[in-house]
Amino acid sequence: MKVFSNEETFDYSWEEVSTANWRKYCPWNDKSTHVIAVDTLSRHVDTKTGILRTERLITCKQSAPKWLSSLFGASDTSHVFETSYVDPESKKVTMVSQNLTWSNILSVRESVVYQPLSATRTQFKQDAKVTALCGGWQKVKTAVEDNAVKTFKENAIKGKEGFEAVLEMSRRVFSEERQREQEKIAAS
Amino acid sequence: MSASLAPECNEVKERYDSCFLKWYSDQYLRGKATTDPCADLFKDYKKCLTGALKERGIDKMLEEAREDHKESDAVNMRRKCKGVLYISS
Repeated sequence: MKVFSNEETFDYSWEEVSTANWRKYCPWNDKSTHVIAVDTLSRHVDTKTGILRTERLITCKQSAPKWLSSLFGASDTSHVFETSYVDPESKKVTMVSQNLTWSNILSVRESVVYQPLSATRTQFKQDAKVTALCGGWQKVKTAVEDNAVKTFKENAIKGKEGFEAVLEMSRRVFSEERQREQEKIAAS
Repeated sequence: MSASLAPECNEVKERYDSCFLKWYSDQYLRGKATTDPCADLFKDYKKCLTGALKERGIDKMLEEAREDHKESDAVNMRRKCKGVLYISS
């Protein structure tokens, strides 16, 4: 098993980050192009706790190294299942995800938490556990795990850059909307 | 907004996503959410998506993954117990 951990800080409020997070993989993000679709499978607010629980299916297109695809016949489209929890009271977003594709070869479990550091800054914490499941040579297992961690690292860097762009656009669009609404009120 | 894995669902997904995002930022985060104004749009989107998932055989994979996520529900859906720390052994 290999572990990948990452921490980032965003200079935006938790409210802004948790809202923009829903459109992290929209066209404003021109870095994380490996994510080609995000579908919502189910969503509800728990009446007791007020926690918003969402299930999503994330579809990625990322070519695997040749040795890996020739060994396992892996296709370049893969799916990830994600369950997320938003607790507006404690201001915490938790996202737990796992791979659906290649799950007989490799188990990838990721958790992401967004929490406020201050009124204008939000912390992003990411942890991923990668375990190769294929029996046989330890060398192959290690190579499969190393490759997954390498991909994670590359995607994390692109993810941060891409999400910064989404946050900036979201802030701009929201302020324009607010201005338009105020103008409407002033005109009436 | 991001695309759907099924292109035929893109339009209805876009409508639902916009509705949800507005509800999330204007009502839910401000503690004002009492109803779900996007329920009908979600129903339409879900109807389209369910067929697409079945066609691609993804529905079966999801069933297994859902089982695994029950553990994270137990951790993340619980009510906050202030000052009490539970350690499972």
